[in-house]
Amino acid sequence: MTPLASPDIEEIVDLAAAPMVPWEVVVWNDPVNLMSYVVRVFRTYFGYSIERATQLMRAVHHEGQAVVATGPRETMEVHAQAMHDYGLWATVRKAER
Amino acid sequence: MSDAVVRVRMARVEGAQLAQLVDDFRELVGTDRDVSDPAIARLSPDPYPDDEDASRSFQSATRDDLLDRRALDAEIVRTALADLRGDMDTMSQTEAFTEHDLTISPADVDAWLRTLTALRLVIAERLGIESDDDHDPDDARFGVYDWLGYRLELTIEAADELL
Repeated sequence: MTPLASPDIEEIVDLAAAPMVPWEVVVWNDPVNLMSYVVRVFRTYFGYSIERATQLMRAVHHEGQAVVATGPRETMEVHAQAMHDYGLWATVRKAER
Repeated sequence: MSDAVVRVRMARVEGAQLAQLVDDFRELVGTDRDVSDPAIARLSPDPYPDDEDASRSFQSATRDDLLDRRALDAEIVRTALADLRGDMDTMSQTEAFTEHDLTISPADVDAWLRTLTALRLVIAERLGIESDDDHDPDDARFGVYDWLGYRLELTIEAADELL
């Protein structure tokens, strides 16, 4: 009996060849935006608690930047675009490993 | 909740001033916009400052939509201010300082916050505000900038009560 088909292991997708490289959204300090506003945007858009949103706002204000989200590149671009809608200065970059 | 609205109180003269600024802004981001205007760049930041190709493709794919959304936001604010529009030069003092209550539905709150913020960004760009210390008390435009910040702060406080 001849097998109808034999699996060709060479064709198995090598997951390691396309690793899920995480990307991140960085929000940068800007003298224009009010602290209460930045906290509100982080709370309402990302759904962060008031504590986390405040902590991120402080990092932006005092350290000049904060990573506010991490994930697939396309998703991070959507988030950055939303931050721009709110008038925040956001960039997208590959996460440091 | 149907009664959950954001209430904003402002003098007629404030409403008229804000309506004027919003009209100017609508022109800036309207269909005849000049994308080489630095204020437009300030409203649509570069998400890939270190990658020219990614930057160009992102901007070309998204910038127009983003500015269209700013125009829509501004239209919502402008509509709400319709009754306060008026010629500030011919307004009597009593009329100018009469306070008006505006009610903003929860659905429109973000449009208000984004528009007030965008107005400040445009003024900051024109005035070259790049740090917290950039301020000139003799320049009336800084007064407008600060006043917008005050209006924004009050609107955020009122809006946060609904969170």
